[in-house]
Amino acid sequence: MMGAKRRRRRGSHLGALPLTSMIDVVFLLLVYFLVTSSFKEPERDLSSSVQGEGGGVSASELQPQIVDVVRTADGVEYRIGSRVARSREELRAVLAALPRDAGVAIRARRDAPIGAIATAMQVAQDEGYVKRSYVPRDE
Amino acid sequence: MIDVVFQLIIFFMLTSHLGDLRRTEIDLPREEGTEQREDRQAAMVIDIGFNGDYYVESRVTALSEIHRLAVSGLATEGRGQVFDVLIRPDRNAPAVYLDRLLTSLTEAGVTRWKMGTYAPVGGG
Repeated sequence: MMGAKRRRRRGSHLGALPLTSMIDVVFLLLVYFLVTSSFKEPERDLSSSVQGEGGGVSASELQPQIVDVVRTADGVEYRIGSRVARSREELRAVLAALPRDAGVAIRARRDAPIGAIATAMQVAQDEGYVKRSYVPRDE
Repeated sequence: MIDVVFQLIIFFMLTSHLGDLRRTEIDLPREEGTEQREDRQAAMVIDIGFNGDYYVESRVTALSEIHRLAVSGLATEGRGQVFDVLIRPDRNAPAVYLDRLLTSLTEAGVTRWKMGTYAPVGGG
């Protein structure tokens, strides 16, 4: 009899939990997670050295392969000496056939999109060129 | 009381998170690159907008100011370690903006740089 009374009292005490505040808190937490959750892709990077137009890979006597990134009416071209690559795959094929020791130097025409420079840097990295440099053009 | 406490917690969590958002929204080149290491943060992060604006800490910054920041950064942080510069360019921006920036950084003494990319969706 006494036990049942105590149980009832405890039950009524729990029933007095402030539900309005609880709902407020739950909604605030929901809003917090909605605002702070991000769906952004994780960033990555491509590393390169930078050298002046006059040269700079002084440690090597070998001349690096120079990849010229040029914007054309159809898109972008990668010129390596007399060879011309019009796609990532073609550039990959050209760089794969060249010696890696001298490294690769990338430079671009003023209007070439930076995305194409990134492609050239990526392909050079994938093809195992350890020495990769970018040559900014003087104004 | 509980409401107030939770409001305060959320306020501080939000403001501390927003403090970390130093990077501008940029349409980076879609390349695989290599994963950025959390323990090796770049000493300087420069964003290049499509129209040629340079951003440092999400604020438009003149090239002369970037040069000054690089010189002072190299003088303090660069001793005995590589001064890492991360450039986050818009992929459609013309190369001339990248060239101007790199010429200025080279004059300041920077020898290495990294280009920020987004890995293509699906890993391709």
